[in-house]
Amino acid sequence: MHISRKILDFLLCILSLCLFSCRGDEVIYPTIGTHVTDEVREGGLYVLCEGNMGANKARLDYMNLYTGEYYANWYGSQNPTQMKELGDVGNDIQQYGSKLYAVINCSHKVEVMDLKARHIAKIDLPNCRYMAFKGDKMYVSAYVGSVADPQMLGSVYEIDTASLTVKREVKVGHQPDELCVLGDKLYVVNSGGYILNQHDSTVSVIDLNTFTEIEKITIGSNPQRIRPDAEGKLWVSTDDCLVILDFCKGNQRLNVKASNISIIGSTAYVIDKDSHKLRAFSTIDLTELEQPIDITSFEHPYALLATNETLYITDAKNYVSSGVLYCYSYDGKEHWHTYTGDIPGHLCRINGAYELHSDSTKKDTTNYSPYIAKVYEYRPAMGQFVNELPKYEEGDDEASMCRKCEQAISHNAGGMISLGGWGGYITFGFDHAVQNREGRDIQILGNAYLMAGNELYGSSEPGIVLVSRDENQNGLPDDRWYELKGCLYDDPKTLHNYSRTYTREADTLQNPFHKHPYYPLWLNEDQYTLKGALLPSQTEIINGQIVQRILDFGYVDNKPNKDIEGTSFDLSWAVDEEGKPVTLSAIDFVRVYTAVDESYDLIGELSTEITGAIDLNINN
Amino acid sequence: MTKKIFFILCSALCAISVFAQSDTDLDSLYRRFQIEEVEVTARALEKDVIQPQTLKGPELQRLNALSVADALRYFSGVQIKDYGGVGGIKTINVRSMGSQHTAVYYNGIQLGNAQNGQVDLGRYSLDNMEEIQLFNGQKSDIFQSAREFGSAGNIYLTTRKPYFKPDEHVHVRGKMRFGSFALANPNVGVDVKLKEDLSLTLDAEYVYSDGKYPFRYRRVLPNGETAYDTTAVRQNGDVNAVRAELGLHHYYRTTGFWRLHAYNYYSERGVPGAIVNNVWRNGERLWDRNTFIQGQWQDEWFGRWSTRLLFKYANDFTHYKNYDTRLLPSDNKYVQQEAYLSFANKIRLYNWWDLSVAYDYQYNILDRENLLLNAPKERFDRHSHWLSAATAFNIKDYLRIQASVLMTSIVNSPKFTPGIFFSFRPYPLIDLSINAFYKQSYRYPTFNDLYYTDLGNANLRPELARQHSVELAYKTTNTRRFEIATSISYYYNRVTDKIIAYPKGQQFRWTMLNLGTVKINGVDAKADASFYLPLRFVLRTRLNYTYQRAIDVTNPNDTYYGHQIPYIPWHSGSVVLGLDWKSNRGDHYGLNYSFIYVGERYSQQENTIFNHVQPWYTHDLSLYAEWGIKRWWLKANMEINNLLGQDYEVIRNYPMPKQNVRCTLAVRY
Repeated sequence: MHISRKILDFLLCILSLCLFSCRGDEVIYPTIGTHVTDEVREGGLYVLCEGNMGANKARLDYMNLYTGEYYANWYGSQNPTQMKELGDVGNDIQQYGSKLYAVINCSHKVEVMDLKARHIAKIDLPNCRYMAFKGDKMYVSAYVGSVADPQMLGSVYEIDTASLTVKREVKVGHQPDELCVLGDKLYVVNSGGYILNQHDSTVSVIDLNTFTEIEKITIGSNPQRIRPDAEGKLWVSTDDCLVILDFCKGNQRLNVKASNISIIGSTAYVIDKDSHKLRAFSTIDLTELEQPIDITSFEHPYALLATNETLYITDAKNYVSSGVLYCYSYDGKEHWHTYTGDIPGHLCRINGAYELHSDSTKKDTTNYSPYIAKVYEYRPAMGQFVNELPKYEEGDDEASMCRKCEQAISHNAGGMISLGGWGGYITFGFDHAVQNREGRDIQILGNAYLMAGNELYGSSEPGIVLVSRDENQNGLPDDRWYELKGCLYDDPKTLHNYSRTYTREADTLQNPFHKHPYYPLWLNEDQYTLKGALLPSQTEIINGQIVQRILDFGYVDNKPNKDIEGTSFDLSWAVDEEGKPVTLSAIDFVRVYTAVDESYDLIGELSTEITGAIDLNINN
Repeated sequence: MTKKIFFILCSALCAISVFAQSDTDLDSLYRRFQIEEVEVTARALEKDVIQPQTLKGPELQRLNALSVADALRYFSGVQIKDYGGVGGIKTINVRSMGSQHTAVYYNGIQLGNAQNGQVDLGRYSLDNMEEIQLFNGQKSDIFQSAREFGSAGNIYLTTRKPYFKPDEHVHVRGKMRFGSFALANPNVGVDVKLKEDLSLTLDAEYVYSDGKYPFRYRRVLPNGETAYDTTAVRQNGDVNAVRAELGLHHYYRTTGFWRLHAYNYYSERGVPGAIVNNVWRNGERLWDRNTFIQGQWQDEWFGRWSTRLLFKYANDFTHYKNYDTRLLPSDNKYVQQEAYLSFANKIRLYNWWDLSVAYDYQYNILDRENLLLNAPKERFDRHSHWLSAATAFNIKDYLRIQASVLMTSIVNSPKFTPGIFFSFRPYPLIDLSINAFYKQSYRYPTFNDLYYTDLGNANLRPELARQHSVELAYKTTNTRRFEIATSISYYYNRVTDKIIAYPKGQQFRWTMLNLGTVKINGVDAKADASFYLPLRFVLRTRLNYTYQRAIDVTNPNDTYYGHQIPYIPWHSGSVVLGLDWKSNRGDHYGLNYSFIYVGERYSQQENTIFNHVQPWYTHDLSLYAEWGIKRWWLKANMEINNLLGQDYEVIRNYPMPKQNVRCTLAVRY
């Protein structure tokens, strides 16, 4: 008997194991931005990560340069209904006009998207490699032509960018890679990458009018890249050197084995395969220029993009794990870096696309998370839980404290943060704008509870809710705020223009349970002033317990979370500074501050605590 | 749904505990169950220094398994890589050290693949198999060839040996199996007693499947709505294979015997490839022929000295062609040849002390031909030598010790690897033992690692695995009621100088490097039990659970430092429940249920959400009946695999079949 019993126990153990780690639905979650930098720049940067062959891990990431946030798997998030995401091995990405084009090599297609990377169409092309554009045409090189021939010659396809259909095809050399348009001619490098030890060594010249190959220029073994400079020269990388095709003064050679080239103004930046260094050359006289960016610590420098202000460069690491994207200024200073997908190979700078994120006009809310996505500000007033919830650690600053708040309360994480005493606030937002619909729109969770047996009293530490629309569309909560009017708004005892100044000096231990500084340690300034409304005290002592009368409606951390209505807010309650109702169709930011200024020996000060928030208009 | 199944399962287990108490006289029945056509192996398991995991005879035939790989899923500490379908490659990885650290032996001689070091166990049929054993470390008996001391994990496949009753001269077997995805699988076999102690066996099999199984990819949005839900049919996964084997066995005197075994396998198959966005079909084809002839002679002198000679010649041909015009065209032929000779001796110095010495030699040739480029044929060859010395002590049946040292000389300077094994049995009357071992073993670079076009690196060193393992095993038998064997082991392995592909320079020039260290901590727990119930019912259960934490500790600066290595789940396990009933006449009926669970794991070194692979678990059910009519036996078997039709992948982008069925009709005389 006892042995069977043991087996039963063992089986139950397996059972519990399985129940805890059963297969669920495979959910496509919207991508969550990672805050990378506080720098604000126009536009954004698309990063096409190649992924290894057969892995189906081509990934399009987006760096929002305006908000400083990096969105991994942006394409997957924008297009959750695309079967098997972006595809296998991303090979090129470019913006042309109002569209974004990506070549997905082993998915044999060119993906056509809008500038927000939303799928428009795909163009099937076998083993396609790179793109070039002119007028209303796109040119795509492909390793394999439409007819398989023993020569294994590749092709260039001409595609109409309006109808997105293939118009013409021209056969070129072996395994054509990069291509570029100069005047009415198209130049394609023939790499011959499939032929070991005897690569191709030519550049095919195609007349764009007749779409025929008019010339083959022999330049050197295994050409890979071809980039035009401002003077009308073409920089071609080969296995042995850089060849500069100069149609006026004759071709020249630079003894550099380049794995990548990026030309900005009159400077060509080149990754040197041999020395693993970034080098710069003048496109005018081909002399080498001083350049201070040091990439010698990179494992495998890979993609390169020089822009007017900054230079972006990636490290592909060991090709089978996350790469890193770096942003440098030309004085050699690293501005930021962030992890990418596998093999970040191709970069595309987009201008003016900062509205990608605060696009609240979009009706379709199915992709959005109902939970907090981001914490923008966190400024608690002095209090017993300050520096504890969330935990302050040496070196933290306001930004990192915001990240900690995010970890605690975003995405249904279930953690808790404290706003401290009166006036302490937090500002958060969702991954979308919250719409003002019929009924309550947002539920904000706290840690209030009712007294046993007396539903009128309990632990209530009310906080006032402010909301704001991103009117200037900069993604930051620096717009007008509106208060959501609670039941005490019109109470004569409510002080609407209250303020308090907290100083580091006044920080003395007040509570034996919390022997640590109450002043936010990450602040550089020694004092700060908070403004807002002060609610009248509701505290009473019942049966020897310090409790508060529960308020009717309109405050955070006032009623228990299971009371959904009691913890929810309607955007229609919004009033302006003068107390006049305003109509908000949607809001981007929510701010909550502690609205009572009371402290008691036993329990310390009353402070609003937040454990999360839910957009009730999104089905959870 | 899963919960429901588990409820049933638990109820069944509760039932066992009740039934197991009832007292019925089933001794004779038990014996009848044990002695099938299969020769009962003489080895008493509890005397092994190293206790193997074993599947044999009827138990093996009862599993929902077509190939050896399917059966190995029921062992603990084992992970199978399965690319799906009858024709998909199936390799085994024991205790996370990598498939190339596991050696597979066919009737005592290793199956080689000098080209890539991997044995596709999906090609070895169970129809002719009598026993599959897995030894962690090495085989228990020190009387073995030198090479057998050289691997970290060892799988022994033993084909059916003919067993004649005194008045029998011929056995004939015929079997026909049909199943989903156009599976057709006839098998015939003959055993002939040529004269006393000399017998011949023939076995031949054909397998066809079109491999066109449906698979489904479904994703949902956070709000539960379907993002996409696509069902498609796997293409280019057909397989056509013929296997023929001939065995000759001669047992003379009581001590000596010789065996000859010839094996030939031919197959043509499609390589279905990864399912990626916009690609539903791949065009690669593969032709294989594996031929080998091997022999063994063994005898004993003066009652103390045993000698064994082994030889093998293998000739394997592979032709790989890519018909997909969109990809790099390729048309390659490979011929591998292997000649192998082993001479092993064991001396029994005292009843409690054995010594053995063995020497093995092997010569490998690989010919490579690229039919597209008209390049000259290339030939690579390699001589390998192994010399082993081993000793075994048995101290009053309390303590058994086995120690061995192996010298390996393959290209590089000779390497020495020791192994030491203990088994301590504290109570003479209780079958409880504490077993432990430490062993080192090398995995040598394969021809691909060394010479693969533009990838190979001739300067590779062998990869070293160090194993430490302790085990507690307990076995108890009450012949009337039950038989239970259970064990739990903990192991710590460290693999250093791991041979991995690493990008060299720019532009994807991969090369092989000795770069990588993996630390493995694992626990294997297993329990096998049979319960003899009233009314001639027998319930058999087999439980396995494996926990493995196999982490990459190569370089603290890597983003994946400390992460679980690819395709190793933390948790995996299996449950097999079989209920047998035998009528008075000896007719035999059975129901078998098996559940396999493989927990979450990652497809690449980095344990990120983008590499996460969901757990999978399948429920398989089979029903069989066997009727005896005079000297004829008729058997029918019906299997349903992946009963709940789970859409799963073992390897990312290689979808596995949904629910599928197999029916088998067999007759033997």
